[in-house]
Parts: sequence; structure tokens; C-alpha cells
Amino acid sequence: MRELFARKGLTVLAAILVIFAVGLVGFYMFSADYGDGLEVAMDDADVEESEPVYTGPLDYGDNYLSSLLMGIIGFFIVLSSGYLLARLLRKNDS
Amino acid sequence: MHIPDGLMAPAVAALGWLIALVFLALTIKLLNKKLDNRQITLMSVLAAGIFVAQMLNFPIGGGTTGHLIGAALATVILGPFAGIMIITVILIIQALVFGDGGLTALGLNILNMGIIGCLTAWYVYRLFPLKSKAAGVFVAAWASVFIAALACTAELAVSFSISGGTHGISGAIAFPAMLVSHSIIGIGEAMITAGVVAYLAKISPGMLRLPKITLSTDNREAAVDA
Repeated sequence: MRELFARKGLTVLAAILVIFAVGLVGFYMFSADYGDGLEVAMDDADVEESEPVYTGPLDYGDNYLSSLLMGIIGFFIVLSSGYLLARLLRKNDS
Repeated sequence: MHIPDGLMAPAVAALGWLIALVFLALTIKLLNKKLDNRQITLMSVLAAGIFVAQMLNFPIGGGTTGHLIGAALATVILGPFAGIMIITVILIIQALVFGDGGLTALGLNILNMGIIGCLTAWYVYRLFPLKSKAAGVFVAAWASVFIAALACTAELAVSFSISGGTHGISGAIAFPAMLVSHSIIGIGEAMITAGVVAYLAKISPGMLRLPKITLSTDNREAAVDA
């Protein structure tokens, strides 16, 4: 994990999060009220989404600040999970 | 394009899991042999970046939105099998932590967005000669979304057909709705992917010359013309 938190790595991580924070403004201005391609196809066919068999402990939030927070939490969960998994795969080889 | 629980027929969802697990076993075997330390760091940063990018839906008109899948971006930078693992990690966290995409449909989501998305991107990208790799990135990204959507639509139609209409969506509705919207979403994916790759080629060309994790050992054809 050391290389991720070296100076250059930190700059990259910060840049991604800044782009996300700015992009999220556009999301709430133009897209938040609409469904994606599959959801619209389900609407067209009058298909109701059934109850999920599992509900995650978090959601993506319903306003700018909560979505920003959830995005940052998710970012670090994916970052650490991806790193640990890749390390594990590499370690198995050696 | 995250398929929720209950939308697909159980047999289709089970088949999705089966195919996904076979490909993931192959992916793990390949990564186990070929990953190096630079790729490990890049894989985790790319996965995290694609995760937040997937939260940023963009409007495509008609009250519909789309978002980056990221399969082509991951594939162009690290090859198809690292790409499959990156998208799989994202989909698992989205399903387990954020409840985005059903657990029963996770195999199909991995199959469509991860496996089909990355392999389509890779084989389309390889069609382009070295001096046309920038165009190759654009076309590969568009194709990865369109073919993944085509697979998802076929699964919806088969689910509808074998369940007598209790699951899935009729092909007559699903094919036009999904393919028209995703042909436009694919343009957004292509623009973002081509933009990011062009930027990386400018600021960090070495990143694009990292070995790609493929079935073969010769990766020279994959280098992006920076």
C-alpha cells in the first residue's frame, strides 16, 4: 500500500476525488431524477423491481453531500479491496 | 445496466453465475502468473476511479441516463483479464455494500459488464493498427457497452420466453429500448475512455506501455501509440 500513499499516488487519488466531487454537481443538476437504460426499459415494459434478496448496509445517498460521502467511502473500500486481492493473487505465485 | 434481483428467470441467473465463475477461475489463474507490482497498484487505483465514475450518470435524452462501465478503460490500460477482475471487484462491492445490482444477478452482471465488456473491448481494440490506436480506444469502448447491452437484452428476452412472461422483458420491447439507449450511452463511454487514455498518453505514457495480461505472452501489439 506504500506506493499508493507516496506523494505521486496521493496526488492521483486526490485528483480522482476532486473530479468526482465536481462531476457529482452535474449529476444532481441533470441526471439524478432519471433512470438508466435498463430501468427505462423496465418502465416501458411495466416491470416492477422486486424486493432484493439482500439489502446493502449503505446506499449512494440522495443529496450532494451524502452521495459525496458515500462515493468517498466506496472509493476507499474498492481501493483497498482491489489492492488486497491483487496482492493476494501475486503472493500465491511466490 | 446493473440487473436487480428477480428480473431474470432463475435458470438464466444460474447460468450467468456458472459462466462467470468459470471465467473468474481462468482470470485468477492468469493474474496469479502474470501480475507485477506496478500492475497491482494501478489495478486498485483504476478500480476505485471507475467505481466513483460509475456513480456519475449522464443524461442521454428522453429521460434516460447512462454511466461509464469502465471495462474498455481498464482493458486498454491493463489487458482484458485485469479488466475483468477490476470490474468484478467493483460489482461485488456495489452489490454487497451499496445494494446496487442483485446478488442473484451478480453472475450476469459480471458476465455482461466484466467479461463480455472487457473481452469485446480487447478484441475490437486489437483490430486497429498501432498508428490508429486512439480510434481503436473509441470504437472498443463503444462496442464494449453495446455488446454488453446486447447480451443483457438477450438474457431479458430469454428470461421472458422461458418463464412465460413472469421474468425478463419481451424481446419486442427490450431490444429497441436497450439497444437504442446503449448505442448513445456507448458514445459517452467512448468519449470518456478516449479522453482519459489520451490524457494518460500525454502525462504518463509508460502507464500505457505496461504489459497487458492476456492469454498470450506477446503483448507488443497492445501498446498505445502515445
